[in-house]
Amino acid sequence: MQVFLCGEEVDDIWCSIYDAWMSRLGHANVRIEPAGCDPELFCEYRLVATTPEKAAKVTDSIRQKLSEELYEFAYKAALSQERYRADRIYRFLIYAFHYGTRVVTMLQIPAVYEVFRMDRNLGKEYDHMRGFTRFSRMEEGILLGKIGPKNDITVLLAAHFADRLSGENWILYDCNRKKAAVHRAGAGWVMVQTDTKEWQDRLQKATDEAEYEELWRAFHTSIAIKERTNPRCQMNMLPLRFRPYMTEFQ
Amino acid sequence: MLIQEAMGIQDKLKILSDAAKYDVACTSSGVARGGEKGTVGNTVAAGICHSFSADGRCISLLKILFTNQCIYDCKYCVNRCSNDVVRTAFTPDEVCTLTMEFYRRNYIEGLFLSSGILYTVNYTMELICQTLHKLREEHHFNGYIHVKGIPGTAPELIERIGFLADRMSVNLELPTAQGLRELAPGKTREKILGPMRQVQRGIAAQNQKYLETGSRFQRIGTYSPTGSNDPLQHPGRSVWQPQQGAGRRNFVPAGQSTQMIVGATPESDYQMIQVAEALYQNYDLKRVFYSAFVRVNDDSLLPALPGGPPLLREHRLYQADWLLRFYGFQAMELLSADQPNFNTLIDPKCDWALRHLEQFPVEINRADYYTLLRVPGLGVTSAKRIVAARRSGILDFPDIKKMGVVLKRAAYFITCSGKTMVPFRLDQNYITSQLIGDEHKKVWDIENHSSYRQLSLFDDYHTLAPVTREDRLSAVLGAL
Repeated sequence: MQVFLCGEEVDDIWCSIYDAWMSRLGHANVRIEPAGCDPELFCEYRLVATTPEKAAKVTDSIRQKLSEELYEFAYKAALSQERYRADRIYRFLIYAFHYGTRVVTMLQIPAVYEVFRMDRNLGKEYDHMRGFTRFSRMEEGILLGKIGPKNDITVLLAAHFADRLSGENWILYDCNRKKAAVHRAGAGWVMVQTDTKEWQDRLQKATDEAEYEELWRAFHTSIAIKERTNPRCQMNMLPLRFRPYMTEFQ
Repeated sequence: MLIQEAMGIQDKLKILSDAAKYDVACTSSGVARGGEKGTVGNTVAAGICHSFSADGRCISLLKILFTNQCIYDCKYCVNRCSNDVVRTAFTPDEVCTLTMEFYRRNYIEGLFLSSGILYTVNYTMELICQTLHKLREEHHFNGYIHVKGIPGTAPELIERIGFLADRMSVNLELPTAQGLRELAPGKTREKILGPMRQVQRGIAAQNQKYLETGSRFQRIGTYSPTGSNDPLQHPGRSVWQPQQGAGRRNFVPAGQSTQMIVGATPESDYQMIQVAEALYQNYDLKRVFYSAFVRVNDDSLLPALPGGPPLLREHRLYQADWLLRFYGFQAMELLSADQPNFNTLIDPKCDWALRHLEQFPVEINRADYYTLLRVPGLGVTSAKRIVAARRSGILDFPDIKKMGVVLKRAAYFITCSGKTMVPFRLDQNYITSQLIGDEHKKVWDIENHSSYRQLSLFDDYHTLAPVTREDRLSAVLGAL
């Protein structure tokens, strides 16, 4: 068994799929695993080098030979929180190139279902985070939103907020992965790694927001109907893990 | 009455959101509008929930009253003129600032503006119109706005507001004219239905115009509009809306909704859903909301509710409402004059299926989409997934479970390749007892003598266990 070791980013995943596929060892004889997994006996390990060319070859062939829709399906799975996503996408693509675009409806195939399941999980979190993300103003007038999503959805969220708040300067910071989407008013947005000291200092700075946060908390309290109080229902709809990042629960 | 205008904005917000909380509709759905350069905001077809309050209800919009001053004396309302509460009003600027600042921080999806009546209906609506105009034109707000129309508003005001808001709603409040006369003396059926009809015609005329000019339409979702000129229902059909060009506004693009109070007057569930169905068919409403009556005023005309608001009844009405809108059911299929209220222990769909066992079991691999939709435990999404997946292979129970089918309920109504999941008798009483949890059996027995056979200890609880070897031994040895 030949095992390909890949990194965490989307491009790493495309490249590992390229290497595994192009090794010509047969799909049954290769496997993709995240770097840092426990080594097994009788396996040969190979580290995948990430290059933009290899990634582009994979994405281009999905987009051209299959469809944009299917590319999106696979791309979202690549952002999933699951460790073995690269191998799952690889297994899925084998079926995808065999059956064509209708493969996305063939949920009775386990390989397709696995990718569908990762997409569904990510989609639900994305829907939640579009609503539960909270911004607050920093000193320079920049809006700072801190989030802690399980899946790597900052890219998708940034696209949503870029459309919504196109006239604002804002930073969307993923506390778990230490990276951020930075948007400039009237211009686009970029992803930046923020594990440097300067970034951390800047992001730790307190935001001066007492006025509107206070108003929002007051609204959040007074809008509830006492006779209908139902913490179980509230917990179902808004799980506790989101609350540390939300103004009204701080 | 003295209106406190010098009050701080936080106090005003507390009072005016507290007074608005009994309005149910907090949805931001029905219109998909991308962001534009120079404006703030966009809208998403499915709507976005931004938070959930302590009662578990979604907070999507900044739900406030413009003023809680009112000239009417509706018995059920906390703001009726005979109540002694602090009265205050926002200024248009205050509403705009709150909306914009909350929106930028992603607290809300937009504004829900309702109001009591200050001096006259049209004076109040004029103020609301000014507020919206300011919000759209000066603050360039491109997010969602839901406005309550006060019954009796002048047509030209409705017209102007309609082009500024995304959704309009006029509350029906009580399902019958009789109830309205008793509890809301200031309102009549005509005053409520007038603006509703006007909004409906405005939307229809606009769509007609778009169709004729060949504008582009965009698909914004799938549900079943039960339109008047559309007697055949098409559950899960795509819904289209004209694409909005830059700088051009549509008339009430997200459609209109209404709200009914549940349990303030003695109407039955059957009457409620008949009214809802009529509204969907004759007024092209997007939603009818149901609000369990909360007794905020001590009035002899209002029912006493020792058990709290009728939440279960409200829940059943919403379930039935979904069946009407998405599943192709009709009110008369769900209830009848003989059985005017929903079963408290089984949801309306299971209830219907149990009364129509001759149509079951349904074969998952062959039944058409509309038949699948009627199976308890299957919804629009799972039915669609099944229809798509079975084109390329036979489906079995584990497969459909993965697609989101709730087998706990569906198992008694379906077969896969001719086989059922568990052995069972296709019998009304047997399946009913299986569907209802053990802990509910007693309550069910007490409340439903009429609709199903009374449970019997020996038939239903299977207390007669088969005789085992140990039993025989102990009988022989005399150690019983």
